[in-house]
Parts: sequence; structure tokens; C-alpha cells
Amino acid sequence: MFCFSKSIDKRNLVYGVYDDEHKLLSTVEAVREKGFEIFDCFTPFPVHHLDTAMGIKRSKLSIAAFISGATGFGLGLLLQFYMMVFDWPMNIGGKPTSYRMLPSMIPVVFESTILCTAFGLALLFFIRNKMGHGVNPDILNIRQTDDRLLIAFDSDKLNKFNSEELNILLKENGAIEINKFSGKYANKN
Amino acid sequence: MAHHHIDIKQEKFEFTSKSKIVSIVLLAVGLILSIIGVIQLKNNHTNSNHHQTTEVTTTQTDSHTENTQTHAKSWTLRFWANLLLNSYYFLLFGIGGLFFVALNYIANAGWATLIKRIAEAMSAYIPIGLVLLMIALVFGGSEIYHWVHYEHLHLSEGMEGYDEILAGKSGFLNTKFLYFGVPAILLIWYTVRMILRRLSLREDEEGGLTFFNKSIRISAGFMVFFLFSFSVFAWIVMMSIDAHWYSTIYSVYNWGIMFVTSITVIAFITMYLKSKGYMELVSPEIFHDLGKFMFAFCIFWAYVWTAQFLLIWYANIHEEVVYYNVRLHGYFRPLFFINLFINFFIPFLILMTKNAKRNPKTLLIAGTCILVGHWLDLFVMIMPGTMGESSGIGLLEIGMPIAFAGLFIYVVKYSLSKANLYPEKHPYVVESATYDVGV
Repeated sequence: MFCFSKSIDKRNLVYGVYDDEHKLLSTVEAVREKGFEIFDCFTPFPVHHLDTAMGIKRSKLSIAAFISGATGFGLGLLLQFYMMVFDWPMNIGGKPTSYRMLPSMIPVVFESTILCTAFGLALLFFIRNKMGHGVNPDILNIRQTDDRLLIAFDSDKLNKFNSEELNILLKENGAIEINKFSGKYANKN
Repeated sequence: MAHHHIDIKQEKFEFTSKSKIVSIVLLAVGLILSIIGVIQLKNNHTNSNHHQTTEVTTTQTDSHTENTQTHAKSWTLRFWANLLLNSYYFLLFGIGGLFFVALNYIANAGWATLIKRIAEAMSAYIPIGLVLLMIALVFGGSEIYHWVHYEHLHLSEGMEGYDEILAGKSGFLNTKFLYFGVPAILLIWYTVRMILRRLSLREDEEGGLTFFNKSIRISAGFMVFFLFSFSVFAWIVMMSIDAHWYSTIYSVYNWGIMFVTSITVIAFITMYLKSKGYMELVSPEIFHDLGKFMFAFCIFWAYVWTAQFLLIWYANIHEEVVYYNVRLHGYFRPLFFINLFINFFIPFLILMTKNAKRNPKTLLIAGTCILVGHWLDLFVMIMPGTMGESSGIGLLEIGMPIAFAGLFIYVVKYSLSKANLYPEKHPYVVESATYDVGV
């Protein structure tokens, strides 16, 4: 909801500005009922039910979490097995140096699983949301970071007739203003 | 959310005579099974005792007395140990219900408001559970706890059989505390439960924020007292079975068992009510959160289990390692590993995905694992120190939980039928009804 990975740089957009999340939600529902395709919503704070209203599919975050966690689990085991069983077995407190030392590996495996999951997801978050240095944030209107909520449509996909219908719909549902935006690399016509 | 306007349509649970009969039948079947089990044990025991005496008359006399002594306590001890196990286990559900209500008040959590009455109804079991637990402690105490038996001997320093460790612990491990301290702790908890319940029922009639704010203050005070007193409760009722041994994380371990099982019971009761056509407003979102709690506290339980086991295993100090030596080698070895699998690995893998937590069927499978598993967990905690290798799972062990379940179900349903199912004037009831965790 804060920002999705769709780039605004190559697009011509038309967006409605709202000052209330309930109005935005009813707009989303009304617009989708008429068959308009929403480009995205931009909100300064998370709005409950907005993702279901927009029909956004579930993220694959949990799969990514599982994979990075399993990686950490495997790496933790490999690290300890290699060091303590094959490379340099050490007698610590008379504990066995074979697979029977498994209980003593639990803390490190536990920690490395968590570490890899946390790092993997943090990294993924930055990549997915394009939050690296020098990347321009998707800002249509500076007040979207403050107290205004935006709903944007790709104006290249609208024709003259339904763009008028859209304007009426947005106004009906309480849009304060309707503006146009054209990205840096968008087709200028 | 004004956008999703919801009317809380009040419902009232009806405790029909049919469901009364079902729980009474459960109770009766359980009782009959346990009585048959006890009679079986008694017969086996007298038979083997005869056998034993004829055998030992030919051998030395001192081994004879020792043999009959260890044998004579068999079947009564087995009965008391089982009564302790089941009364403690079901009492944990009641305590857990109270804890859940208080926890949601102090955490300012709104998601579980619709199912608050279920947790309240569970805590109605506390006084009955207390009576049953006290029967086990008062009448079976000297058999279950060897320190109670030791206290009756009144040994002083220098006498034969004097135990320095037990004497040193007698400031805490004494029968006065066992007979009066334990019920005092539980009665204080129950008083808090009655106050919270009364405030909640008055809120239903009058509305307003005063009852809610008052409940938060009471819950906060309760929580401080509870976490200390629950530790003491777990030490004297459970840990003192192995009176020479101690573990500093033992009460946290017991708390983990309490929380994960009572969340499971709350989920089961909610499922039951939904299957009977009540609680239409309870959405999969609430099951999702209950499932998350079950999942999280399976991990928490395993974490604490490992924390306790690992330190003792690694340090390998003689006085500590006895506890695991009994469980890890010999008779209890299979149960020890089954315990770990059924309480951690299986529910962990089942409940991992989002859909599993929202689907009542998978929740039911994982929950059954948890409930059976933690009964077994308590079995492995209690039996090695009491029955030792002569314990087992027979008709008594199967019948008694059934009887307790029948009693518990009766109490919960009775309490549910006494109040509205939804706390409709609770400030968070609409939040709970429109609750949404997102995609």
C-alpha cells in the first residue's frame, strides 16, 4: 500500500485526491464495479481492507521467508558439522563429536535460521520496494506522504468517454481534486 | 469502521438437555473405565504380591520388606498420580481462560473480544478443579511426594535417613504450604475471575468505559501476582515430585503448557459453537489468530523444553542430570521422544501455512496433537518420579481424562449458558467483528 513496485516513470496517470480513507475505500469499490483498472493507491498510512477492496493477490512473502529460513537452517547445520565432526573435532565437556552432538547444535541452528530469515526478508523488502540509494520514490503528489490519499489510473488505457465517467465517479465519491501526472520517460503526446 | 457497519446481534447459548446428557455420559463412561482400571490394578497387584511373598520367603528377610514396601504402594499411588495429572491438566485450562481474558485487557487487544465469554466460561472450572486437585494433594500427597512422607518421619540432624536437601527445603516444601498455600493462591485467582466476570456482565447491561478501565487495572495487578504465584504453584505441585532436583525454568515450562493448551481449548470451543450455529460473527480471521497463537506457543514450548534440557545435558552435573537420566534411558525413552514430536514437530509443520490456520479441520488435527501431547508431557513429568517403571497407560489412564473432559465440558457449557455469548457493549466488540489481518 505504501508503494508497490510498479514504476510511475513510464506512465501517464490521472489521480484523484482524498482526505479520508473511507471515501477512498468506497471509490475503490465503485470504480472496480464499473470495470476500471486501478493503477495503484498511494496512502500515507496503511488503510485496513484496502488490499482486499483492490483485489490484490496474497504476497509470496511467506514462501520467501520459508526458503531463507531453510537456507539458514541448512547452513547452520553444515557449518557445525563440518567444523566439529570433520575438520577439527574438539572435546568439549566430554560431549561426543559425532552426529550424537546434535543437541549442542540446536542454539546455533536456531539463531542462524532466524538470522537468515531476517536478513533475507529485509533484503527482499528493499529490492521489492526499490528502496536503494539513488532510486526515486514513487511520488505523484507530495501530500501523499502527509495527509492525502491518492487513487491513480493509467490514462493511456482510458478513452475520452470513460475518462469522463471516471471523473464523475471520483467526484461523486468525494475526491477533492483530480490531477494528471506524467512520468519522466512516459510517451508525451 | 463506519464503512463496514455491523450490528452485533446478541446470541445466547442454550444448554440443552441433550448436550447435558452427552457430557454426563462422558463423565460416567470415564468413571466406569477408571473404576475397572483400578480394580484390575488392585487384582494384579494382590496376585503379584502373593507371588512375591512366596518367592521372597526363601530369600533374605530385609529384601523382603523392601520389596513389599515398593510394591504395596503401586495401585493406590498410580491412582493418586493419575488424579494429580488430570486435575492439574484440566485446571490449567481454567487458569488459562482467566489468563487470556486478563492478557487481552492489559494488552488492549480487541481481536478476541467476541470469544471473550468462552475464556470466561473456562475459568469457571477453577473452583471445581481446585477441589479435585486438593483431594489428590491431601489424600495422595504422602504417596506422590516423597518429601511429604519424609516430613512425617520428623527426623533431626544426625539421625539415620536424615536428608540434608529436603531439610533445607522444608521452609517451602512443607505440608502446611501444600494444604493451605496452594488453595489460597487459587482462591485469589478465582476472586479476580469473579470480579472481572461481574464487571463484564454489568458492562453488558449498562455500557460505558468505566467497567473496561476498571478491568484493565485489575488485570494489570492480577498479572503481576499471577506470574509469581503460578511459579510457586508449579514448583510445589509439579516440581516437588522430584524434590531433590530443581530447574529454574520449570514454571515457565508449565506456563507454556498452560497457554498453548488453553488457546487450543478456546479454539475448539469456538469451533463447536460455530458448528452448532452460534457465533456467526466469528470470522476465519479470529481462527487465524488463534492458530497463530497455537503455532507460536508450540515453538515457545519447544524453546523452553530445549532450554531446560540442553543446559542439563551439556553441564552433566550429577544432581541435575538424574531427572533426564530416568526419562532419556529405559522405560520412558519412547514417550520422551513422542512428547517432542507430538507437541512440537507435528503441529509446527501442520500449522505453518496461512490456510492451515484458517481451516478448522487442520486446526482440529493440530489441536488434538497439542492436547493429547501435553497430557503425555505431564505424564512424562509426573510418572518417573512417582510410579517409575511400573507405570503404564491402561484403562485408568484412558478413563480418567474422559471423565475429567465430561466434567469440564459440563461446567463450561453451564457457564456459557449463563451469559450472552457476545460482550456486546465491550468497547472493542466491533473491532473484533470487523477484524481483518489483510491479504
